[in-house]
Amino acid sequence: MKRLFFKILAYGFLILLLVEALVRGLHLHKGTPERMIDEKGVEKWVPGQSGFVTTGNRRQNFSEYRINDLGFNSYREFDPQTETYEVALIGDSFIEGFHQDYYNSIGKKIERRMPELAVYEFGYAGYDLADELHLVQAYDELFEKIDMVVVYLHYPDDLLRNRYWVSEERLKLQKGMYGLLQHSKLLVYLQNIGFLNSMTKQLVSWKHAISGSSGGKEKSEGNKDQGLEHKTLENFKDLVGQPGLNHEKIVFLVDEQLLSEDLKNYLLTAGIPYIDYGKVLRQEKAPVTLIYDQHWNDLGRELVAKAIAAYLVNEQKPPIVQKQIPLNLHEEYQ
Amino acid sequence: MLFNSLAYFLFLPLIFFLYWVAFRRRHLWQNILLLVGSYIFYGWWDWRFLFLILASTIVDFYVGKMVAKALPDKRRARLWLWVSVVFNLGVLGFFKYYNFFVGSMVDGLHTLGLEMNSVWTLKIILPVGISFYTFQTMSYCFDIYRGKVQPTNNFVDFAAFVSFFPQLVAGPIERSSHLLPQISGKRKFNYEQSVAGLRLFLYGMLKKVVIADALAPIVDDIFNHYELHAAPVLFMGAVFFGFQIYGDFSGYSDMAIGTAKLFGIELRSNFRFPYFSRNIGEFWRRWHISLSSWFRDYLYIPLGGSREGKWKAIRNIFIIFLVSGLWHGANWTFVVWGGFHALLFIPLFLLGENRKYKGSFLGEHEFPGAKEILAVLNTFFMVTLSWIFFRAEDLGHAIGYFKGLIGQWSLPLYMHPQGYRMIDYFLMLLCFIAYEYYIRADERNPVPIKTGAVRLVTYTLIVFALLLFYDSGSDRSFIYFQF
Repeated sequence: MKRLFFKILAYGFLILLLVEALVRGLHLHKGTPERMIDEKGVEKWVPGQSGFVTTGNRRQNFSEYRINDLGFNSYREFDPQTETYEVALIGDSFIEGFHQDYYNSIGKKIERRMPELAVYEFGYAGYDLADELHLVQAYDELFEKIDMVVVYLHYPDDLLRNRYWVSEERLKLQKGMYGLLQHSKLLVYLQNIGFLNSMTKQLVSWKHAISGSSGGKEKSEGNKDQGLEHKTLENFKDLVGQPGLNHEKIVFLVDEQLLSEDLKNYLLTAGIPYIDYGKVLRQEKAPVTLIYDQHWNDLGRELVAKAIAAYLVNEQKPPIVQKQIPLNLHEEYQ
Repeated sequence: MLFNSLAYFLFLPLIFFLYWVAFRRRHLWQNILLLVGSYIFYGWWDWRFLFLILASTIVDFYVGKMVAKALPDKRRARLWLWVSVVFNLGVLGFFKYYNFFVGSMVDGLHTLGLEMNSVWTLKIILPVGISFYTFQTMSYCFDIYRGKVQPTNNFVDFAAFVSFFPQLVAGPIERSSHLLPQISGKRKFNYEQSVAGLRLFLYGMLKKVVIADALAPIVDDIFNHYELHAAPVLFMGAVFFGFQIYGDFSGYSDMAIGTAKLFGIELRSNFRFPYFSRNIGEFWRRWHISLSSWFRDYLYIPLGGSREGKWKAIRNIFIIFLVSGLWHGANWTFVVWGGFHALLFIPLFLLGENRKYKGSFLGEHEFPGAKEILAVLNTFFMVTLSWIFFRAEDLGHAIGYFKGLIGQWSLPLYMHPQGYRMIDYFLMLLCFIAYEYYIRADERNPVPIKTGAVRLVTYTLIVFALLLFYDSGSDRSFIYFQF
């Protein structure tokens, strides 16, 4: 009996060690860069890092990232010039683009369509509107030189707070016990493929079964929705109403169908411009997201780039180069 | 409780620990633990059906005694035997076949121009594993009647025999003459047996997760949208289903046999690499062995077997294949599947070739020649075609699928429903077939490697494959639970 017990332990340990080596050797784990909060209170990636991000359990998606000097994933450094037309694209992981090679990002796709443009991508996983607008304010000198700011807004997740504060939550992911566990690429891999998540779900469901609760599911959905709609609208007003923001430059990138009616009406009545990326994604028959991941795949990114480019063309931006845009591009955006 | 669930991975070590540590010297308590553990295992799905299994246990425990008591008088003993048969088949018939027979009757009358306005169909939930444990308990009474076993006086032993959790819900269907003495007798912890059990469990898990669960979304996609796919894709769907059901069912059997070994109990083998069979006769000696031998012993032989002339033998073959088909499910597709196999088997029987490969296996002495390989491919092809009936929702679905196989010729383009690379699955199947060929001599030893380091690498690769093909979104229940 003891012999069996020790053999199981020994074999188990050796097998885990070898599987860890295989996961590392074949780079099956996700592998994200290190985070930081800079002197302006902006959360971002530590500048100068590069590497690969994996998605799916058999490396279904494998992409390269490059963190520039400012701390964002981009093929270029952000150095706006007066003679070029710059567009800043701010958002969460969808804009950050760790799911695609950094040299094939949404910004790059827009630039390919409109070569006169320079797109600066300020994407960081977990950013909400408070983070995004704080970034614009914190780097006001940089953003003053940028001609247009496209702010990605995912409703309602990005509108759950009405002011900015430095959140340590994500930084905690690389500290303490959690950070220690991240050193095991096997554990990271198990987390990526949903194995750990399904275990946790099972344990939570047992906990609820034992305690006799349903995990809060019994709450009235109707009231909850109404409360949320009101709260998100107020948060949006508070955040956008902050002093020091140049509203002339800001355009929101939204999925119109996801917005609450109240917020949509507010955007329309207040004359706040927005780009609806949801429409083009829904019109597409082929999958626009990755496997095991809600993020846009190459096609999804292409379509979002197309939606942004279409907006720029329709708004005649940049004004001086409109005539240089190929005719077929104009037709494509009609 | 599923073998491949978190609950089982907590349940099994706990029972194992109590069994060998806390109750090591107390045989009765070991059996009580097995019984209670089995009822928890079964009740995890739906505790209400525990009453059914308990009723079946009580009836057959009592009937077994009465059959033995009445035995000098065969006629009286047979009457008691009928009590067991009527009860068990009654329960099975009600839960599994009631709606099927009512529906078939209504359809039959409709064909004759007669309409039934009010039909009594019921919303019946099929208790998991009902076909397995009813057959197991019935065989106990049959064996007493035949004088093969003596009735047990120990209810706990008998109840543990009926509900022994490793094989309760999907077999192997055990015989009382084999399992009951092991439960009644004292058991001693055996290191080699436990290690062999763990190996089988791991290999069974590989078959289930890497083969069955990984192929399931592709098979579902192709069968559900068969009208959209080209003939080669439809053939691939049928082949994949063949591997899916093999991985699912034989994987379950391996895990069951492996688990039983951990408790010092040997279960019968249920699969012996059936896809390396050289004809259908060999296939049926290698596929779901515990069921085919059950039908042979308790149906084919009592019907006269092959002793009463060719015509009667052919009739008997048809009966066991059709009944075996119906056993799988209340659907005409299963009956046709059984009939299809009967049609494949009878020519072999008439030519006297159905036992040609008994006691041997592919490439036993040397690498198989072209003739043997062709025979394996031919058998596999026939079996694959039969799986179309088995997998189809109804006969119309099966016929449509066959029509597609014949007529839908276009470029065989196929994309995984979730967008995965298809090449991964072909490579995985090739590796699996090659490994199965390597271990084909002994189905109870899936890692026949002497060198410790190589064995460790093999275990590692199995665990790695499990992680590569694990799908958190897939339905992980076993196909044969529905039977």
